[in-house]
Formats: sequence, structure tokens, C-alpha cells
Amino acid sequence: MVRKGATSGRFPHGTCDPTSLKKVTYSSHRNKPVPRRSLLQLGGLGALSLAGAACTSADGPVALPQDAARGEPSQGGTLRIARPANSRAETLHPAASLSAYEYLGALYNRLVKLDEAGVPVPDLATDWEVSDDAMLWTFRMRDGVEFHDGRPFTASDAAYTLAQILDPDLGSPQLGVLAPVMSASGLRVQDPTTLVIELDSPHSDLPSLLSAYQCYVIPDGSGGEIGATGIGTGPFRLDTFRAGGRGRVLAYDDHFAGRPVVDEIEFYSVQDTQARTNALIAGQVHLLSQSNLDFASAQVVEASAKATIARVENGQWYTIPTLATSPEFSDVRIRKALKLAYDPARILAVAAQGNGVIGNDNPVLPTDAAYLDLPHERDPDRARALLAEAGHPNGFSFDLSTSALDPVFTPMAVSFANTVRDAGFDVSVRNESADSYYTEVWMQKPAMVTYWFTGRPVDQLLNQIFRSGSSYNESAWSNEQFDSVLDAARAEVDPDRRIQHYQDAQRLIVEEGATITPMFADRLVGISRDVVNYHEHGFEFDYINIGLR
Amino acid sequence: MSTEAKTSEVLDSPTEPKQKRLRFGGNGTLIFGLVLIGLHLLIALLAPVLTSHNPYISDPDAALYGPSATHLLGTDQYGRDVLARTLYGGRYALQVTFIATTITVAIGSALGILCAHLGGWFDMVIMRLIDAILAIPSILALLVVVTVFGNSIPVIVFAITIVYTPAVTRVVRGAAMAVVPLDFVTAAKARGESAFAVVLREIVPNVPGVMLVEYAMRASWAVLLISTLSFLGFGANPPTPDWGLMISEGRMAMTVVPWSVLAPIIALSTLVIGLSSAADGLSGRLGVDRLSKGA
Amino acid sequence: MLRMILIRLGTAVLTVLLAATLVFLAIQALPGDVAQQVLGQDATPAAVEAMREQLGLDRPVWVRYGEWLLGLVTGDFGTSLVTGEAIAPELGIRLRNTLMIAVPTFILGVALALYLGLVAGLNRDKTPDRVASGIALVGMSIPEFVTATLGVLLVAVTFPILPAVVIDGDQASVVELLPATILPIIVLTISMTAYILRMTRTGVIDAMASEFVVTAELKGVRRRDVVLRHALPTAILPTLNVLAINVAWLIGGVVVVEAVFNYPGLGSYMIEAVHNRDLPVIQSVAVVTAIIYSLANLAADVGAMLLDPRQRTRQEAS
Repeated sequence: MVRKGATSGRFPHGTCDPTSLKKVTYSSHRNKPVPRRSLLQLGGLGALSLAGAACTSADGPVALPQDAARGEPSQGGTLRIARPANSRAETLHPAASLSAYEYLGALYNRLVKLDEAGVPVPDLATDWEVSDDAMLWTFRMRDGVEFHDGRPFTASDAAYTLAQILDPDLGSPQLGVLAPVMSASGLRVQDPTTLVIELDSPHSDLPSLLSAYQCYVIPDGSGGEIGATGIGTGPFRLDTFRAGGRGRVLAYDDHFAGRPVVDEIEFYSVQDTQARTNALIAGQVHLLSQSNLDFASAQVVEASAKATIARVENGQWYTIPTLATSPEFSDVRIRKALKLAYDPARILAVAAQGNGVIGNDNPVLPTDAAYLDLPHERDPDRARALLAEAGHPNGFSFDLSTSALDPVFTPMAVSFANTVRDAGFDVSVRNESADSYYTEVWMQKPAMVTYWFTGRPVDQLLNQIFRSGSSYNESAWSNEQFDSVLDAARAEVDPDRRIQHYQDAQRLIVEEGATITPMFADRLVGISRDVVNYHEHGFEFDYINIGLR
Repeated sequence: MSTEAKTSEVLDSPTEPKQKRLRFGGNGTLIFGLVLIGLHLLIALLAPVLTSHNPYISDPDAALYGPSATHLLGTDQYGRDVLARTLYGGRYALQVTFIATTITVAIGSALGILCAHLGGWFDMVIMRLIDAILAIPSILALLVVVTVFGNSIPVIVFAITIVYTPAVTRVVRGAAMAVVPLDFVTAAKARGESAFAVVLREIVPNVPGVMLVEYAMRASWAVLLISTLSFLGFGANPPTPDWGLMISEGRMAMTVVPWSVLAPIIALSTLVIGLSSAADGLSGRLGVDRLSKGA
Repeated sequence: MLRMILIRLGTAVLTVLLAATLVFLAIQALPGDVAQQVLGQDATPAAVEAMREQLGLDRPVWVRYGEWLLGLVTGDFGTSLVTGEAIAPELGIRLRNTLMIAVPTFILGVALALYLGLVAGLNRDKTPDRVASGIALVGMSIPEFVTATLGVLLVAVTFPILPAVVIDGDQASVVELLPATILPIIVLTISMTAYILRMTRTGVIDAMASEFVVTAELKGVRRRDVVLRHALPTAILPTLNVLAINVAWLIGGVVVVEAVFNYPGLGSYMIEAVHNRDLPVIQSVAVVTAIIYSLANLAADVGAMLLDPRQRTRQEAS
């Protein structure tokens, strides 16, 4: 359960056209290639003989690859994935808060999924339409799809799935996003291939909310046992599953989008990031999921014979939520001072070695159509003045929590603490237990470093993580004006005016909010050199085309 | 055979003078140990003089570089100077070790001597409690304490005290037991002196050898324990330069920049070797058989 | 002697009970609401309250304590708060896995330590002694997390002969785990041998200088016989105590090694339980290790009685 906040529970959002992003690039000498074999062998020998000086590359690190390998895979084979298990209480129920994230995409489908630009595209629903007042949505279901147990998929399965999410007893993380606009009584199965949703309040972009990973479709009435059976319509069917343990899925020959390339996927639960990385380097697994490797580990992986690095561009949204309800940060002037004081470029350089873009305290990715460009300005003097105005002329001290849960956390916390010192902030970095980070620290301690996956559509993102009272509102920031702007955006049918509302919302977050967003970093994914056609963006993982050489 | 019998029996033999020189240590071992400890203390004190690099300052443009003229042992993954971090790295461990060991040996000795002197129920209850605490894995006790109260220095000192005090108590009690039946103590008791006076005047001066050896040995264990805690993420807070933390942070990059891990390993090991050698040498010199008491 | 053993057995039982009580009391102090943890951050207050009731957390501490102790006596370790399953089977698997490391380590460590200690002790202050003592000093000065890390790197990553880590978790069968036990065994044997070796060496030196060995030598008994029949048993006597402590260390203190190798043993079970506030599991692991510790001490005491040279000398005299 413990990682829920960080990992499957809190994947944050999706990206659009990655090529348009401006990257902070390496200084030129760093791109000098070093033959990887020799680096590894010499490195190993160095450790052996304690003659390390002879073996390191004095030229510094090697450049990491930009793209995962593409190519013609051989048909079949077993793909082995190491993942950090959510908890020993994890389940295959997609709507539950403790779901086993990696299995979901393999076992199930949603009504809609997101393309690389973050636009909803058909999955189990083939098309949809909305009434002019954005109150009545009609989804048409794909015909001829069968669940793994042979039952045909119909609109009542889709209705049941949504009803599950809307059931407060299940405590689904998506409940807070969907409940403001719809209730179970508004779900109507018009015929086996038509689902009509009558909303309680207007929403002009409902499909994007249904692309969340809690919305994977399960068979009608299966809520009691789906957590163990995992029966869906996805490209793989469940063979074995054990919470917090090992599991296996087998290719589902009758999948509507075609049979997957590999015959089976084995999932292993390895909690320790270092152990996962070692397993990859030693060739025990092919892929590390939900693991952003730190720069050093990435270097070691890249230098190894069996493994390499793939990227999910800007896949990690790093945040420093400062609890708006805490005595330290309830004063907006202190929050503003902190934002003025820190240096995002420095954090991006130290913590992520420039692999990403700076965040400007705006949770929306610069590639998103709704993005509001408000460049972050650093002004320690003004920060100091604001602090004095707030009653702290001699400086302000607080604790910043970090953990080994993600390797970027600690360098990010440390460089943050260093950059705000000029403005009179005295920050003590506190190392907390990784396993209870999201139960004991997240939303409890006044300030901490954390991350989300990028990949959430903008409406989902703003409502789930910033709206007053949302279960994922990690900074406990509550702003009525912000909430009403979001309501206006949901009700707005005109796309341009809707974007205008979302931009107003972003401005409020940047200027008033309690969340600091220093950067979006590339997720450096450890992957075997045998794997081809790995593709992952946001919460979309391509289980069908991934294959082995 | 009761616990007392076992302990005092074990203690009997080494007090015979002819065996003194048979232990590990002679003066050579003691001096070797003291020199190593002194060296580490000096380095920790003089670190700012020995290196011009700041162990906290990261330089992303110089991350993961091998040894060079500017960075003699290269840089770690955040571009910090490995040598500077290693030189400063003993400060945290030495500080915590010194405080924790002093408290542990003080409390343990006091309890042990009291047990030996008072005997009876007091002794019974304390010894049973100590047996029970020793039966619980120390790392479990440590993790529970640190999880409950956080990882500040006072808490870690407290945790180490809990883990090591019972063992010290047992050993010192054994040593004091050997003294209690001796004539001068019995005579003092016969003179009708108060328990406190007897303990203070007659017993305490006769067990400092054991206490001193205990001190050196517990210190060496404490250093290991503190670095293990840091390694597991329960000890020093980043970016504190601490050997355990450095090993933990750098172990993945070992194939790329081995010195970022080897330097703290060498530093840590030499300090522990110094403390163990000092303990060996002391026990040889003072005729204290510490090895057989284990715990 | 039987009476002595019975008394020690009684003491051992008392120790385990006391240890269990201490652990129970200590973890009551853990912060964090267990029910909240089980349900996750998003649970409603009503659901948390229902869960508290279901877990029995609403009842007084002493009632839970009494029930728990009764359960222990009947071999019922309760149910895990996290998985909701009975603890006993999982505990059994973890104990088995740890024993797969601990038993070979113990046998290997004791054999190596006795042999090297004997060689060192008999060659006091000569080259073999200096080498063995030096290695022992270094061996006990390098923490296990260092040897383990070096081990993973060298054997598993740079020269891939053995698996780097266990990826199967606690579902791995004995056969699957076997290759993964080799590195942990090597790492643990190094530190354990270092500790015991020093003990044996001292014991051998003491024994060889003792009166009856000197007498035996004077009587013209062959040196080999003197060493094997007189010196070795005497030397083992003080070692027994250390062995008992090492058993406890092996069972409970392999946490670091299990963490580095991701090995599904008792140590990693314990860490998981601490992180998850899985109180019944923490208690169970503590009790199991306390039992093993007490048994090891009991065995050491009985062994000491059997080996006590004074007893034997008396027997020979009569």
C-alpha cells in the first residue's frame, strides 16, 4: 500500500509532442562516447583490485540514448518485468486505490485511451457524442469483443465499471474526479452497444476523464472477485497473480487489436530500486517499470552489456507540495517568497542532469495545448522582502522531507535547500523511510519532495490534484476562485474559451498555490538490449508491440 | 549452571597474570589502534584545512568524473568532491559514536555494578530483563525506535543506548561480581559502610579496565551500526558527508567511479580496525578477557 | 545435571515471555493508524472506523495482549494486517529461507573458524597466526553491507555466474532459491568466521597453557592427541557462548544482507512489517527470533556442561 501515493496511485499526466520541447543540453565534452564494454570491464577490475583510479573515465559520463530500440522482434518469448509492488494488499481491481498498475494495461481496456498528444481516442468505445449543453454523453461500444472467459462485452459492463468507481465504499481515487459531474443513477444502457451518461453538471470533455487508469472495464457484476481473477478484454489474460509477489499473464489470441508479440509476461515484485537495477544488469529481467533511474545508475546500466536506457520524455512531474494548512506555509507571502527564492534550472541540472524541462511552478506540461507560459523568475531580494513583510525579517527555517523512494528526490531536495539559502530560508533536509513515505509523510509533513507521472489530461490533472478537498490534493490548497474556474471550464463547450479557463486556473496555481513544480524530468527507464519496440507515454504502455529480439 | 556461574567462571581465568600476554594485543596492537583512532580524529578536526573543496557543494557539470588534479579522488554523481566528503565523513559517525558509547558504558556500568553489589531481587529482575532485550534482534529495536522518533542525533544515540546497554551491564556485572567477594569489599561491608560508599570506593576503581575495554569495543560496534543505519536510510540526513550514506549513494555508480565508494569503505574500515585493535590491546594490557563475553 | 537443564529451560521460557511482552508494549507506541494504512489515504472515516473494529483495535490493549499470548501458545500467530492472511505459513516460509542461509553459514563459519583458530592458536605469533588474526580483524571491521555490495557487483554483475538478486520474492521454491543463497552465505561467513576465529584462537592459547595440557605433554602424550582430546574441547568451551550469540545474529541480524540481495527471509519480512506497521508480524518475528536465541543459549549451556574439562577431569580421577 505504501507506495500507492507515489506510484500507481499517483501517476500524473501525459504529454504531447515531445519534439517541440527545448531541452537543457549537456555541455559538449560530456557527449564524448566511451566504449561501453571497456568501461564496464575496467570498472569491475578497478573495484576488484582497488585500483579504481586507473579505470574511470576521467572524461566523465557517457551520453544516454534518446530513443528505445525499434525493430523487427521475433515472435513469442517471455518478457520479464520488475516492478515495485504497490502493497501486499494490492489487487487487480482497476478502480481500487491499491491496484497492481502494471497488470491493468495488459489485462483490461478502457472505453477510451489517450494518444501521444493527449487526445482521447477509441479503445472499447468506437465513438461518442455529446449534447449541446454538455450534459448528455452517448458512447457506442465496440462489437464482437469477448472477455477472457468468453463472455461478450456489452454496454452494461461499461456501466457497471463506472458504477464501481462511483461507489463510495470502494474508495476509488477517481471518485473525487467523477463524482462532481455524475452519479450512478445517470448511467443508462440503451442497448448492448450504447451507453448513455446523463451528467449532474455539464462536462464538455468527459472522455478524457474516462481514460484514467482506474477506468479499465471489468465484467458486469464482477466487483467481488475481479481483484483476483483479472478477467478483462486486454491483450493478455491472467495466469497467476499474487499480491506483492510474482505473477504471469499469457497472450490472449482473440484480442480485438491483434495478438501481442510476446507469448507471456512475467511480473516480479522487487521493492528496492537498487535490487531492481542489479537484476536488470545481471539479465534477470528485461524492464524496470515505474522506476526512474538516477543519473549514476543510468550510466552503469548504459555501460553494461545486457541493458540500456530508454526515456519517457518529461515522464516525471516533480513537485514540492508545501502544506497550505500547516503553520509554516499558511501565509501565501511565505509561499511566494519560497517560489521567488529557488532556482529551477539549478535543480534540473543537479538532480536530473538536465534531462528534462524546468517547470515554472505550473503543473501543466509546456507541450499541452492549454499550457500558460508564465516564466519563473528568481529574485532572492524580493523573496527576502516578502519574508520580512510576513514577519520573518531574520529568515525562515523549515524541514524538507525526502526519501530513497525515487533517486531524484534527495538531490532535488538538497539543491532546493541550497538555492533558497540566499533569500534567508534555512532548510533542513530530512531523510524519511521510503516504504512509509506516502503514508507518514505525504500530506502530513509541511514540505516534502515527490513526483507524479505526467499523462493526465488537463481537466483531470487540475481537478484531481489541486481542487479543494480532492483526495490527491497534496498541498491541501483550497481556493474558491480556482474551483469555480474549473467548474466554468468543465461547462464550457467552446474549446478556446475552455482553454482560457484552464489558463486562468494555472495562473492561480502559479501565483497563489502551495505546490512548487521545479521541473519535468525524463524518466530514465532501464531496459534490456534484447527488448524492441518499448513504448510508454503517460499512462499508456504498449503491451501489444513490445517484443524481444 | 546459572548465568552467574558461567560469567564468573569465564572471568576467572584471564585475571591470572601469566595469561595476560597471550591475548591479541600487546602494546603494539594498542599503539596501532590508538594511532589509527588519533589519525581519524585529526582528519575529522582538520578536514577544512586538508581540502579546499566544500563537501556539500554539487557541480552538475563535473558529475561522475574520475580522479584528476582538481578532484584527487574524482567526483560523485552530483559533482561533489569525493576526497572532501571522505575527509569530512567521519565527523558525524565519530560524534554520534562518542556520545552514544559514553552514555551506554556509563549506564551499563552503573547498572552492572549495582546488580553485582545489591544482588538478590534487583539483580534477578535486571538480568531477566536484559536477557529478554538481548533476545530481541537489535536491528528490530533500532528500526522501531528510529521509525517512531525520527532520525535526529539524540534519537539515534537513544537507540544505540537501548541496544548496547544490556550487554555492557552484563559484562561489567560479571567483572564486578569477581570483585565483590574479595576481602577488601567484604571488610568495607563489615565496617558497616553504606552500599553507596562501598560501591563508589571499593568496586568502581576495580573495574575500570573492563569499562575501558568495553568502551573501545562498543565504540567500534557503534561505528558499524551507525554506518549501517545510514546505509539503510535511517541515519545521517543528506547531504551530510557520512561514510555509510556515501556508500549507499555511490554503490550503484561503483563501476563508473569506484573511488566514491572505495574511499568511504577504506575510511570506515580503518576506523573500526583502529577501535578493535585498541580494544584488543587494552584488554591484553589490562588483563581483561573481553572476547569470551561476547554479547 | 538434568535439574540444571530444567532450570535453564525455565529461564529460557521466561526470557521469551518477557521479550514478547516488551515487544508488544514497545510497538503500541508506534505512531500512525493501522486501519488508515490498511485502507489507504483515500478511505472515508466511517470505513476506517469499521476496519478498526474488524481488526479489534477498538478493544483495550491488555485484552489483545492476553489473546495474542494465548494464540502463541497454540501456534497461532494471528493474521497480518496488510494481507489479512494467517501469519504462520508466511513466517514458516521466511524462516525456512533464512535457515537456508543461516545453517550453511553457521556450519561453514564454525568449521572454518575452529580450523583457522586452532592453526593460529597453535602457531601463536608466527606467520599463520598473524595472517589469520589480521584477516579476522579486517573481516570484522568491514560491515556486511560493504561485502554484500561488492559481492553483488563482482560475482553477479561483472562476472555473471550467480543471480544478482532474488526476483521471485517469497514464492521462490527451495530449488530456485539455492543459487541465490551462495552469495549471502559467503558474505555472512566472512564476518562470522572473523568473530569466532578470534574466540577460538584465544581459547586454544589458554588451553595449551593450562595446567592439565602441560601435564599431559609432560606425561608424554602425543601432541596431536593433546590438541584434539584436551586443548580443542577446552578451547570450544568459551566459544560456545559466542556461537549462541552468532545464531541469534544470523537469524535476526541478516537484515542488511537480505536487503541487498532482495532475499525473502525473516530479516526482510521484519523490515517490511516495520514499514507497514504490520504489528502482528513484527511481534511474531520478534518472538520467533527470541525463541531461537533462547534455544541457542540453552544449547550452549548444555554443551558447556558436557565439555567442561573440570567435570571431565573429576570423572577421570575417580
